[in-house]
Amino acid sequence: METVTLTIDGTQITVPKGRTVLQAAIEAGISVPYYCYHPGISIDGSCRVCIVKIEKMGKLQTSCSTVCTDGMVVHTREADVVEARAGVFEFLLLNHPLDCPVCDKGGECPLQDFSYTFGPAESRMDFPRRVFDGEGVKADVDFGPTLMLNRNRCILCTRCVRFMKEVDGDAQIGIVDRGAGSEIATFEERGVHSLISGNLMDVCPVGAILTKDYRFKTRPWDNPGVVDTICTLCSKGCNTSAWLKAKPEWARGSQLIRMTPRFNADVNNYWMCDIGRFTYHWAEGDTRLRKPMLRPSTSPGQAPLEPAAWRDVEPKLRDRIQDAGSQDPASVRFLVSAHASTEELYVLKQLVEGLLGNDGARAVTVTWTRSDKRQPEGTKFKVPGTDAPNVNGAKDLGFEVGPGNEGMPDLTRLRTDVEAGRVKAVYVLDPGPDGSIGDVSWLVAARRSGTLPLLVVQGVLMTELAAAADIVLPGTAWVEKDGIFTNDQGRVQASSRAIAPPGEAREDWQILVSVARSLGLTMPYETSNDVRRALATSKPGTGYAEADHLLFTRPVPARNWLQASNPSERWKWDFLFQDLPPVKGHSVQMEGVPAQETSIPLKPVG
Amino acid sequence: MAYEPVLTKHCAARDGYTLDFYVKNQRGYEGLRKALALQPNDIIEQVKASGLRGRGGAGFPTGMKWQFVLKDTPKPKYICCNADESEPGTFKDHVLMERNPHLLIEGCAISCYAIGAKVAYIYIRGEFYHVQEVLEAEIEKAYKAGFLGRNILGSGFDCDVFVHRGAGAYEAGEETALIESLEGKRAQPRIKPPFPAVAGLYQCPTAVNNVETLCNVPLIVLNGPEWFASLGPEKNGGPKLFCISGHVKRPGVYETSMHTTLRELVFGEQFAGGMIDERPFKAIIPGGSSVPLLLEQDLDTPASFDHIQKAGSLLGSAGLIVMNDSVCAVWLAMNLLHFYRHESCGKCTPCREGTDWLFKLLLRLESGDGQPKDLDLLFGVSTNIVGKTLCAFGDAAATPVLSTMKLFRGEYEAHVREGRCTLPAPWRAAHPVVAAHQ
Repeated sequence: METVTLTIDGTQITVPKGRTVLQAAIEAGISVPYYCYHPGISIDGSCRVCIVKIEKMGKLQTSCSTVCTDGMVVHTREADVVEARAGVFEFLLLNHPLDCPVCDKGGECPLQDFSYTFGPAESRMDFPRRVFDGEGVKADVDFGPTLMLNRNRCILCTRCVRFMKEVDGDAQIGIVDRGAGSEIATFEERGVHSLISGNLMDVCPVGAILTKDYRFKTRPWDNPGVVDTICTLCSKGCNTSAWLKAKPEWARGSQLIRMTPRFNADVNNYWMCDIGRFTYHWAEGDTRLRKPMLRPSTSPGQAPLEPAAWRDVEPKLRDRIQDAGSQDPASVRFLVSAHASTEELYVLKQLVEGLLGNDGARAVTVTWTRSDKRQPEGTKFKVPGTDAPNVNGAKDLGFEVGPGNEGMPDLTRLRTDVEAGRVKAVYVLDPGPDGSIGDVSWLVAARRSGTLPLLVVQGVLMTELAAAADIVLPGTAWVEKDGIFTNDQGRVQASSRAIAPPGEAREDWQILVSVARSLGLTMPYETSNDVRRALATSKPGTGYAEADHLLFTRPVPARNWLQASNPSERWKWDFLFQDLPPVKGHSVQMEGVPAQETSIPLKPVG
Repeated sequence: MAYEPVLTKHCAARDGYTLDFYVKNQRGYEGLRKALALQPNDIIEQVKASGLRGRGGAGFPTGMKWQFVLKDTPKPKYICCNADESEPGTFKDHVLMERNPHLLIEGCAISCYAIGAKVAYIYIRGEFYHVQEVLEAEIEKAYKAGFLGRNILGSGFDCDVFVHRGAGAYEAGEETALIESLEGKRAQPRIKPPFPAVAGLYQCPTAVNNVETLCNVPLIVLNGPEWFASLGPEKNGGPKLFCISGHVKRPGVYETSMHTTLRELVFGEQFAGGMIDERPFKAIIPGGSSVPLLLEQDLDTPASFDHIQKAGSLLGSAGLIVMNDSVCAVWLAMNLLHFYRHESCGKCTPCREGTDWLFKLLLRLESGDGQPKDLDLLFGVSTNIVGKTLCAFGDAAATPVLSTMKLFRGEYEAHVREGRCTLPAPWRAAHPVVAAHQ
């Protein structure tokens, strides 16, 4: 790789050829502010706050648009740069409402943070601020089904405009009018209609574009825990951060408050889709299963399900499964969602092979759904059709998955057998959101009519299927357990336990292990990592060989408010903002800077 | 030595704009015929030798600009003719296009041949609708006569000229913004580099030239670079159009050499003919609204790029705005900032926010509500804009403030002190602009 060496603030830095000065500075940990630059979209050079002094160049240059050359000498902290930059910050804040206390971005806002560090001590503006849609809360206008727009806060960095044009592929956002009257707008105020619109809140460096989902729900310093995880709502497997809202005084513990994308150049880049971003409420919804449940009577529809203790459910389950399989073990069948993690599938495989021998996997039907995601043709972020994270994991373990991620699962064999009365028991593993195992009304009907004598549902929600079941076992959603999933590229990725399962719900691999043990099988697993270790040993030379070394993160407890506002969303703070909110009179990055430079008064020139 | 006009000699003739007249009286399209017999590079060399400098404002040597146009590329190349004449006080290109359109068409064709382009776009200002009608009709005639189109004059060279009408933005006169607008986007400047010569229209090598610049090209090819250079001072050769406006007896477009001094242009009988009502001269803006003012003492400067620059201003687009003693410096700055605030494209922060702020400050001063701190503030805001923007607009917008503050600070102070303008100003009384701005 060709490299160039340049000097920034006296430090020699070697970067690959083609990097801009700003990128070189960011990589070297030298703080240069920026708004219109975003590593995921094209360079605009319009916000002008990243100006630096480059020797042998007449004017101050925007570092975002200047490519590094050998021997370049760059200064970011000389008096004229500091003063010019402070001048640009003064311009940026002329019309920006100082409503940080009620702005959802307040506390994690680059405009706020960079202004503290690089802006002037005070503004000289004494005219009323420019106002577009009214003041205060009136200024929030609808910006499509997922977003709200506050034009008063906008600093016209045009990141959203470029995001829609370049990443989404449909340039729905534009600027209308010009000069000081410029405003962000969509055609006829129709708002943004896109499958990846939520990213606009992430690219917006101020509180102008906010998702309706996150608005007014929390403050950044009340989100002390952030967990690196992945999204499991489709086969793409976007890397995400699960944000937890919690206060020490809360009895109820932490609560999922939002999902944001985590940078992974190979999978999702800086982005995620709205389905993954906004579909997390079900994990903490009212329909969650919190206790095992039993139907007292064996005849269907006679008695309602009643909560029971695990210790009472397990023997009942064992007896009824043994009973159903007494004549033909193959009449016990499994319907498994591709939302199941590879650990769960691995345990399940050992379970069915223990019961049925080597072709036990034939008793398992893997299911998932597909949906049509309409996106512009030129989009750079394609959301796949398959709505399950682990079809490839099931395939790798030897389960039949038909066309795999490319098509629909084939449930006809199971359905024919059930409807013909050849199946005595169906055990369903459904750890995904409601509907993610497809249409199972035929199974519900078979149980209701008595064609199917036993239905066991191990799931997370009180679905129609669970309501028809004889035994319901509360499992866990993806944010409540450590699990690995194999996405459509064949990449093995980790999803981490961010919150505790509700009530008496157990991790699904654990439930399967207990079921297997009660049926007399040997399962030497105490933790989910034991399962991964066994999996790794059984599949040397594959993507699973290192499964037991995958990193599962835990919420990082906050030690002070400074850390609380930005703990583990590392890619963002390291690579996007490079900034920490300053503590009064002292900011980390100003360490070592002479005292008179730490505050930047705008003195009258000339 | 009396100067013989070459660009505008026949402007007053009733049918001076027609193809027949052009061919008969102006040796029309002989330059093109001569050029097609030469190698493209020879034409560039001739233009370089002539010292022709861009007439749009920056005065950059045209031959050099053409030489920068990438040669070894599979991409098509383009000539963009900048006819978005929007600089306040400038109205010369419009005369050329309306009264001598074939000179421009011939210039476009020769320039295309020189840089290896096959298409020239004339980006015409939105308000020049009547000019566009004339131009397009004459382009049609040129096509019919075989001066444009396929296999021009049997040389095998193809060239098309299209007229594209702008939507009325001053910023579209900036070369990269012009290209953006031509591509159908908002007229906002691009980051340079890459310069248009490398990646311009549709990311292809492009030369953007002013109307008057291109009109000079046939003359250079026809009469030779030495003739052209001999017309003016060193490095400032050729004929030059001057647009004189303001408080003069005969405002208008005058063609002369750049030997002519500002005093001759303002007071000369063959030019503007002196101050209206014989009121005293106060100041002159020599190059369109974006350049610093010059005073009486500077009037003996020859109106050439280099001399005016030495005097502390710029020739720019050669729009001479002459002002008598009734013009208040604060009002002047406010009036110009009203224009710049309205025309700022809004891309760069300093210009977008700064022009608005400057205008508000100037309006407050002009209305008599100014405070002493406003003067320092005006200066501070202006210097915060200068040099911090993508294109030259920011510098241009701050210039009226910085220049008037430098030359007429007393008037600013009087506005603060007295709460009103202290100039005897009958002309201003008849033009209550402040009310209109509010």
